[in-house]
Amino acid sequence: MKTHAPKFLALFLAAVLALTLAAGGKAEAAQYRVAYIARAQADSFAAWLANAIKAEAGKYPDIELSVFDGEANDEKENGMIENAITNKFDCIIVQPNNGEAQRPYVENVVKAGIIAITTNARIDGIPGSSSVDADPYMQAKVNCDLALTQIPQNAKVVVLNGPPGNFHADERRRAWQIEFFDKRPDVEIVGEQIAHWNKDEAMTFMEDWVQSQSQIDAIVSMNDNMCAGALEVVKGNPKFDKLFAYGVDGTAEAVLLIKEGRMTATCMQSAYDLAELLLSSTDKLLTGAEKEINTDIGNPLITKDNVEDFVKILEAAGAL
Amino acid sequence: MERRKIGSAWNTARQQYSIFMVLAFLFVICSRANPNFLSIANISNISRQLSVTTILAFGETILIIGGMLDLSAGSVIALSGVLAVASFKGAVAASVPVWGALILSFAAGVATGVACNIVNAMMITNFKVPPFIATLAMQTMARGAALLYTKGQNLLRLGDFVVFGQGSIASVPTPIIFMVCIFIVTWYTLRHTRFGRSIYAIGGNEEAAVASGIAVGRVKYKAFLFNGILVGIAGVLFMSRVNAGLPNGAINFEFQALTAAIIGGTSFSGGIGTAAGTLAGAFIVGFLDNIMNLTGVDSYVQQIVRGAIIALAVIYDIWAKGRRRTRSSLGDIDKKGVTA
Repeated sequence: MKTHAPKFLALFLAAVLALTLAAGGKAEAAQYRVAYIARAQADSFAAWLANAIKAEAGKYPDIELSVFDGEANDEKENGMIENAITNKFDCIIVQPNNGEAQRPYVENVVKAGIIAITTNARIDGIPGSSSVDADPYMQAKVNCDLALTQIPQNAKVVVLNGPPGNFHADERRRAWQIEFFDKRPDVEIVGEQIAHWNKDEAMTFMEDWVQSQSQIDAIVSMNDNMCAGALEVVKGNPKFDKLFAYGVDGTAEAVLLIKEGRMTATCMQSAYDLAELLLSSTDKLLTGAEKEINTDIGNPLITKDNVEDFVKILEAAGAL
Repeated sequence: MERRKIGSAWNTARQQYSIFMVLAFLFVICSRANPNFLSIANISNISRQLSVTTILAFGETILIIGGMLDLSAGSVIALSGVLAVASFKGAVAASVPVWGALILSFAAGVATGVACNIVNAMMITNFKVPPFIATLAMQTMARGAALLYTKGQNLLRLGDFVVFGQGSIASVPTPIIFMVCIFIVTWYTLRHTRFGRSIYAIGGNEEAAVASGIAVGRVKYKAFLFNGILVGIAGVLFMSRVNAGLPNGAINFEFQALTAAIIGGTSFSGGIGTAAGTLAGAFIVGFLDNIMNLTGVDSYVQQIVRGAIIALAVIYDIWAKGRRRTRSSLGDIDKKGVTA
């Protein structure tokens, strides 16, 4: 075994390399090369967006898209931006892991004369760059407007936050503060924790809150994953039949929960809409039809009244 | 004389059971800090929340005692869990009876865990790759495979698959039953089997173990096989508990498992550790997290407190064991009459 081990290892590495090159080497004679650098494909929304962008890019025969995974690591994502500049892509789309950490690298993209687009979330204030995003403040605000009319007087609520420092997590929480909690001083927050967008972490917090609090009237969650985790804990518990639950993203799971009457509302952050707008903007910038674009997708609220429309959209897209 | 005997017994108890005393102390403090802590529902909650990482921690304990470790556990949970979920859904779609689909999915999860760990063992024993590097490589590969298989999307509508993580037998939640059974198996394996003695010998001094005729490579394979079974079971329980196939789930679970093992007195230098200590370590972390949530401690403060108490528990344990070693060395010298 000892004598053959290096040979096996070399063969294995060679096979992996060959497969990788074969998979990545089907470059066609596209007119424009576009790099999409995703924040982290292990993040379910980021993966959904990356898949949607790949599908949308297929509609543009003059665009050849390469997708890179930043693995939720600033160093790695910045390195990928630098590599894309060196490889002279025509357009580089960045989904930042941490906007401020990627800012100087996106500025370098612009300096190199390459079209730079930031998305989900945008990096503001880089002259010459474009952005396509959803407004996280508005995503939470549409929920707040509904909650103002639904959550009863002197209600007790629990709040589940995303990772601190994340633009979308912070903006959504800010909107809840300004648009709901400041307007409803009678409502008391009886539990608030950071569950890092994760369903299992949210479950653990909710299990503890159910023990420590005699009354919980609403779950305010900064994304659907955490909301679904909290709802999993009280599933089938008649004490929480009238519980209100609000999230953001419009994931397939949240849409199903709204359809079942277990979740109250979510704001759709549609990866399909984002991908469509991103690719159409990219096309306009590449062909010179526009010099700079800063635009947002809409913030449709999903409730039991319109959930069937979104079920159909997700079914058509194969997400359900 | 009587006082000396009592003092000696106290010292022995303190040295051998120091981590359990820390656990008992914490239990008393938590009980006084919040009246909900002692409720059966809350203790059941804590045990259920801990079950997945504690099961992983038993596997890590065996590996660490043998001078190895597994950094791939969290990623392998994700892979084995999503494959178990997919097997269940596929079997149900193919009109296999529910009980058959449950057995098939459980077997798929365990087989995936075992397969990944056999590759780990092969890299470590046949190719002499350090365990840290081999399992780090598996961590990346397994996570990538889980994401590739699911295209990064959660698997939903699990149906009866949730019985593994959300069911109960005689009012005891199934994850707790799994955790207790695995604790007993791990304890027995370490205390009463040749494999258990061999793993201590290898971790204590691998060269001496080779010299004494232990088939080191085979024992390492068995250790990873054992770990693989536990990781596979943990994958099934985790996905079932959260009612979804999460390819990005269980991130950093291996570190939570390592923390439980280390707090429980397992030595990173190998050759030392017990299943009971690991169980106590897991509950120390669980009690802490639970009481801070019950009392509404701020998230940032929780992280500081968790880190500080983990450090204090380990410092106390090392101090208590250090005193035992010092006393036993002095005792040996006394017996030899050097200091007499």
